[in-house]
Amino acid sequence: MKRSYVGVIGLSVILLANIIFTQLMVHQFFFQNYDAVLLYMASNIILFPVAILIYKKERDKGESGYAKK
Amino acid sequence: MKDKKSIPAKDDNYTHNISRNNERSLDRRGFMKTMVGAAGMFAVASLPWGTIAAKELMGLSDKEYPHQKIVDVKDIAIGDSVEFHFPSENDSAVLIRLSQDKYVAYQNACTHLRCPVYWVKEEKEMICPCHHGKFDVVTGAPTAGPPRRPLPEIIVQVDNESVYAVRVKRYEA
Repeated sequence: MKRSYVGVIGLSVILLANIIFTQLMVHQFFFQNYDAVLLYMASNIILFPVAILIYKKERDKGESGYAKK
Repeated sequence: MKDKKSIPAKDDNYTHNISRNNERSLDRRGFMKTMVGAAGMFAVASLPWGTIAAKELMGLSDKEYPHQKIVDVKDIAIGDSVEFHFPSENDSAVLIRLSQDKYVAYQNACTHLRCPVYWVKEEKEMICPCHHGKFDVVTGAPTAGPPRRPLPEIIVQVDNESVYAVRVKRYEA
């Protein structure tokens, strides 16, 4: 079985983006830039379905591989 | 008959069918599940910040209360103070006339332990008698004693020879 780290790396990038967005969101909240806070919250929320998507894609890739063998 | 899974008498207990092999190992799929879960946690944790931000943007925290008449201009001399309640019956406040046209008003619960703060005309300071906290009368900022936060300022408006309380100024850190 050939290993694919696309999913792992993609999810790691998403987690990094999550951390960065959360940090920026808290800072902008402190500085009362509430528009920016909403923007960062939206990006954080959108990243979650993207993460699920990557996970499902990776999981199904493995299954189809087994089926071929 | 030789059964590999037969239980030795000494181990005859109800845990024999629990397989703990590799229980703690984290495979690639498990790792990815964890990452997705973490992303979900971040998404959920963002919600309260966003809702508070949205609330601030809609201006719910800075609402204007129905104008409340405090006192007639002729009844308050320069340097005097009047006590009133704003915005609710339980929020005591004090209005001080500093000069001909300059009025300031604060909710006068001390920001230390909520004792009432009084305007002392002779010393030109607002003093909390409980622990000798003092507040600057122009800004409401604490100048001495235990309090560390300013008094909440009430915006006043002079209309038809009367002084009205309009809104409570937002607390700014």
